[in-house]
Amino acid sequence: MIFLKRQLPLAITFFMGTAFALQYYIPHPVSEDAITNVSKWMQIISGFALLLGIASLFHVHAVKIQRQVPGWGYSLVLYVAMLGTIAVGFWAHGETKVNGAQTGFGWMYDYTMVPLQGTMFSILAFFIASAAYRAFRARSREASVLLAAAVMVMMGRVPLGQFLAPWTWDVTQWLLNVLNSAVRRAILIGVSMGSVALSLKIILGIERSYLGGGKDQ
Amino acid sequence: MKDFARRMVGIDRRLIFLLVAVAVLFPLLRPFGLPIKISPEVNAVYDYIEALPERSVFLISFDFDPSSKPELEPQGIALLRHAFRKNLRIIGMTHWLTGTGLADSVFSKVAAEMGKERGKDYVFLGWSPGGGALIISLGQDLYKAFPSDYQKNPTHGMPVLEGVRNLRDVNYMVSLAAGGAGIEMWYVFGKDKYRFEMAGGSTGVIAPGLYPFLRSGQINGLIGGLQGAAEYETLIGQRGTATAGMDAQSATHFVIIVLVILCNVFYFVLRGEKGRSA
Repeated sequence: MIFLKRQLPLAITFFMGTAFALQYYIPHPVSEDAITNVSKWMQIISGFALLLGIASLFHVHAVKIQRQVPGWGYSLVLYVAMLGTIAVGFWAHGETKVNGAQTGFGWMYDYTMVPLQGTMFSILAFFIASAAYRAFRARSREASVLLAAAVMVMMGRVPLGQFLAPWTWDVTQWLLNVLNSAVRRAILIGVSMGSVALSLKIILGIERSYLGGGKDQ
Repeated sequence: MKDFARRMVGIDRRLIFLLVAVAVLFPLLRPFGLPIKISPEVNAVYDYIEALPERSVFLISFDFDPSSKPELEPQGIALLRHAFRKNLRIIGMTHWLTGTGLADSVFSKVAAEMGKERGKDYVFLGWSPGGGALIISLGQDLYKAFPSDYQKNPTHGMPVLEGVRNLRDVNYMVSLAAGGAGIEMWYVFGKDKYRFEMAGGSTGVIAPGLYPFLRSGQINGLIGGLQGAAEYETLIGQRGTATAGMDAQSATHFVIIVLVILCNVFYFVLRGEKGRSA
């Protein structure tokens, strides 16, 4: 059993990790066929991950409803909405339109999902304004620099700011293209180096937490 | 003065909400119509499409869902109008399952407006799982990645895809992204290996994070947020919802700037007060 639980997954990880890292540099038809097939497998696995996500969501909220934890009513709403959408989706054969006419599934998407998601996101503007009023304070030199930069970019990125203080446009462009790019690049390089190190640890079997099972792994 | 400052610091947030609501609504009802300045990063996308020969292959990926519709849909509409006007062959797709219906309706709307035909002038492939794996799959063989389009028509033999085998046959690509599965992923798994030119369109929130890719030439242009969309609308000479929305965004930015400055003045008046009482 230990072979199936530990050695086999480690061997598969090592083989696939090494093979497909090398594949990138080998433009041979065999290598190209391999990546074509494996990318298809990966797509299929991603599809199953979606099913796993739905199953997990059902399970988490079923437990909440069963135990009637605070806010369990929201879980019930989620259950009704999900089951309702699935039922209507099956009824409409997953089509949003048939011969130009909108199906029930299409109607649900256009008149519930689109406005609900839009509303959720637009509410942010109100909360950001309120939070900025209370929290955006020049308490230190660093906070003052941040505040000045934010005000500059907020002015330089809108026509009214460009009209009232045309120089904010150039300052904003400089901030975005020079200072922001330099810092973001440093972060990106750091994150990428970390990803490479972690990938190597997984391929070489040093990092095994993905196998699960706690410390004995 | 201190009493007033104390009262203002603890102001009811519903009043702030009301100010923001007025700042959004008023310009929408009475637009100022201020001129839109064009940034070099948006101009680069426009110039590249403008220079493409007729019937070139243009791939546009709608990598967002309805929550980012106000910023990214106008970008998509402006790009499609420009590409259709240039008589390019357009391939559309999405990495965001919840954005599929939205992307399809944008395609249908703009194509009908420009008198273009599905299957001949454009194709919307829809969504397929995999993210990076899907891009690799498209790079290897488009017909294996998408055997049929969103309308379930077989992709093989479609006039719009004539001579297109994989991503290497794409002349230009733009990803309109609201998050992780978007521009960066298209660069890493697509452009780097399959060698096509690409640009990005993004929400205002993630745009600053994409500037390193722009500066290094990994993407040749960037349309950032509603401002970017308004710039593109100005470039193609067809004003739309982004240009209209920029007045509201201007007013909202100014309300926030004034609130932040006022609150800092009040805190300055009250400085040291907390320390003394403690």
